[in-house]
Amino acid sequence: MRKVHAPRFSQLCLFFVMLFLFMPLIVVAAYSFNSGHGMTWQGFSLQWYEELFTSSHDLWRAFWNSIIIALTSSLTATVIGSAAAIGLKWWSFKLSGYIKVATYLPMILPDVIIGISMLIFFSSINLPLGMFTIYAAHTTFNLPFTYLLVDSRLDEFDFSTIEAARDLGEDRKGAMLRVVVPSIMPGVLSGFLMAITMSIEDFVITFFVSGPGSATLPLYVYSSIRYGVSPVINALSLILILASMALAFIFRRFLKSFAASA
Amino acid sequence: MTRILSLVLAAALTLLSSCGGDGTRTLHIYNWTYYMPDEVITAFEEEYDCDVVIDYFSSNEEMFAKLQAGGGRGYDIVFPSADYTSIMIKLGMLAPIDHAMIPNLQYIPDIVKQVATYDPGMEYSVPYFMGAAGIAVNTTLAPPDYERSWMIFADERLAGRMTLLDDMREVMGDALKTLGYSNNSTSPDEVQEAARLVADEWKPNIVKFDAESFAKSFARGEFAVVHCYAENIIAEMSAEELEKVDFFLPETGGSMYIDNMVILKDAPEKELAHQFINFIHEPENYAIFLDEFSFPPTTNTAAAAYMETTPLYTAEDLEGYEVIADLGEDLDMYNKLWEPIRYMD
Amino acid sequence: MRKPRKDKAGIMLAAPMGLWVTLFFAVPLLIIVTYSFLKKGLYGGVEWEPSFDAYRQVLDPDFIAVTLRTLWTSILATLTCLALALPTAYAIARSRHQTLFLFLTIIPFWTSSLIRIYAWINLLSTEGLVNNILLALGIIKEPLHLIYNLFAVILVLVYMYLPFAILPLFTAFDRFDFTLVDAARDLGSSKLGALVRIMLPSVRSGITTALVFTAIPVFGAYTVPLLVGGMGSTMVGNIIVDQVQKTRNWPLASAFSVILTLVSLIGVLTVLRGGRKDKKSKEVRT
Repeated sequence: MRKVHAPRFSQLCLFFVMLFLFMPLIVVAAYSFNSGHGMTWQGFSLQWYEELFTSSHDLWRAFWNSIIIALTSSLTATVIGSAAAIGLKWWSFKLSGYIKVATYLPMILPDVIIGISMLIFFSSINLPLGMFTIYAAHTTFNLPFTYLLVDSRLDEFDFSTIEAARDLGEDRKGAMLRVVVPSIMPGVLSGFLMAITMSIEDFVITFFVSGPGSATLPLYVYSSIRYGVSPVINALSLILILASMALAFIFRRFLKSFAASA
Repeated sequence: MTRILSLVLAAALTLLSSCGGDGTRTLHIYNWTYYMPDEVITAFEEEYDCDVVIDYFSSNEEMFAKLQAGGGRGYDIVFPSADYTSIMIKLGMLAPIDHAMIPNLQYIPDIVKQVATYDPGMEYSVPYFMGAAGIAVNTTLAPPDYERSWMIFADERLAGRMTLLDDMREVMGDALKTLGYSNNSTSPDEVQEAARLVADEWKPNIVKFDAESFAKSFARGEFAVVHCYAENIIAEMSAEELEKVDFFLPETGGSMYIDNMVILKDAPEKELAHQFINFIHEPENYAIFLDEFSFPPTTNTAAAAYMETTPLYTAEDLEGYEVIADLGEDLDMYNKLWEPIRYMD
Repeated sequence: MRKPRKDKAGIMLAAPMGLWVTLFFAVPLLIIVTYSFLKKGLYGGVEWEPSFDAYRQVLDPDFIAVTLRTLWTSILATLTCLALALPTAYAIARSRHQTLFLFLTIIPFWTSSLIRIYAWINLLSTEGLVNNILLALGIIKEPLHLIYNLFAVILVLVYMYLPFAILPLFTAFDRFDFTLVDAARDLGSSKLGALVRIMLPSVRSGITTALVFTAIPVFGAYTVPLLVGGMGSTMVGNIIVDQVQKTRNWPLASAFSVILTLVSLIGVLTVLRGGRKDKKSKEVRT
């Protein structure tokens, strides 16, 4: 009795939090089927979906720019952030304090300041603005998240498992790959997800470091929403949500073994 | 681990640098959001066999901050308003306009050129559109005898259902005009009086200073009176809904804007840029733009003949309206007075 | 106690991040610090003339009031986030479908934040869904003012940053050995007592990370107060953006950022030091 009762409260919370998180999306979904352009309901229609797939060239270009930037910058940030978390946790060397503190900074400074200062930096070293500068900026602001999530995961790491692996004949690289990497995986995965989210979301920094023609989805959305954003964006959002949910569901088994390998 | 790292970096770099061009000319435009019909752009691309790539900004200051910090390289045409056009001319950021390449300049009326005191000869800028922000009233929500002037914001019956633009120069300019002064006044007494009018009589009745989302809330009936540009309202409401909306420019006058097309000094495609400006001012093309936003033909009189809609206001309504000019050092005085109005309860 | 090692592997692992942050961040940061001590240019930018004007302007009473308001708003929003995230992360960690739930937590955030904020404006407006449901249920008789005030700002801030609290807490709960709680319960602890005494200390670093991840972005929030806030909802983030994009006072924006950075750094370092001390005392005990 006691044990069945145990997780009830938290499960209820989980349920309500999920409801809370998805609530605005119901509105987004509903308006993507609105036949009117504005905020009043004028009947069901698929016209925005039609427009999305027939005549939204700019939107799709911005969308693919966003996806490319999100994947490359999150991957880079996850790999170098996780590696650094291990290096900084178990070894001590000169400058390790500096690296730890410097990594926090991109999280603290306001976006607009990061954006402007990076723009000044890029233009003073004559780096042409475009996809690469966006990628560099995104990787930078993703780093604190990927680093800290793995770092906190390592806090309670049981060091004896490595020694056990070494005793069983693994060399250091083997021990790293077979023992450490699986055990930090949930932290790596959370960090990666968070990085993707930050990158897909960012508007202010991207605004400054983007060059002619390299607009990402948020840039497109922000600039158009003030003057009656076209419901085409709602349609795209709904498709994106459903697609990512479908992917998460299809790969749930793979993901589970991935995370549960801890 | 290092090998994985370099692999990831290499992969990222190839992905990022793989986007290249195919030889056709590309015109890069930096424009306000939602300020040019797609139709016209596609027609230009076909006629001149080129690509037009547009990036957007949503305020002059935003655009200017980016250009200031060195982020303007690669753009050909930018669309600054009057005050920023004069700043950009002063700072030597623009290329001269070759009038021989733009015969359609003939359609720009003298009145616009007179108002554009910073560049009356169109040496560095070509006016794109001249207009003004006004007031939109939802007549089903407002009392029948509402005042058709800026003092509508002092009407306590509408308290909590009105918004003013989150734009210091617009709001302060309208207050100065209401008091009978110039909206570019640099007299401390006048500006202070205007700030008091905004703070004591208008601000208590408005929900917030909003330049972002008010049009949506106005369309839904959350707000009854909004200070806005005509295109904000057009974008959110159907023709049917617009029937219950009274959009007007108060007769006491107010702030007016001219948005210009300018060519940057380092523009890579200067010739194409001139051709584009000429194409835009072709009366037939220009009329498409006016129709889409329900604008009056203030800046290209010949386009009137091709228009299919009736604009929300007319060129005559702009009588008494004054262009927002660059105030130089005196802007600080405005900023100081505006701070407590904008940031405090 | 593991001993810090002294070979090259550590520096090899950390070097890419160190170099990256130095190249792409430390240099821009220096630019900002320099700018904060220069004179403002008439049309934005700076003039190369040393000046303390910016720091003098930061002390403007209006700005101080906004800073205090920001602090208060951030504390409320962060604590609410944490209170919601703790049980949620716990439930996800104990669920059989944890990765699925993890994705479900984050997926709504792959829609542009602006679109979600507009959806909230829609939901919370006088004739919006929330008021209609409450009216239909008979809980209220008059529509409530749910939007354009502090309540709306906090609600939407909590919404925007909740996953930032859930993810680190999940990572912490996930590696916790739940049999310890059962063991404590078998020894006669109450359910809550067992959770608090056994679990909280070992997820402490997760809580710290969650706190840092939510408090810092909330403190710098810009779009949420701008869009769903009312007259008195301006936060420090808005002032900084306005200095760049409206009043063209780059040194003041830089000075604000320098101060913000220092304050946050002190906060972060205190939290980190606290965590370390705690760990040491724990190690002594065991």
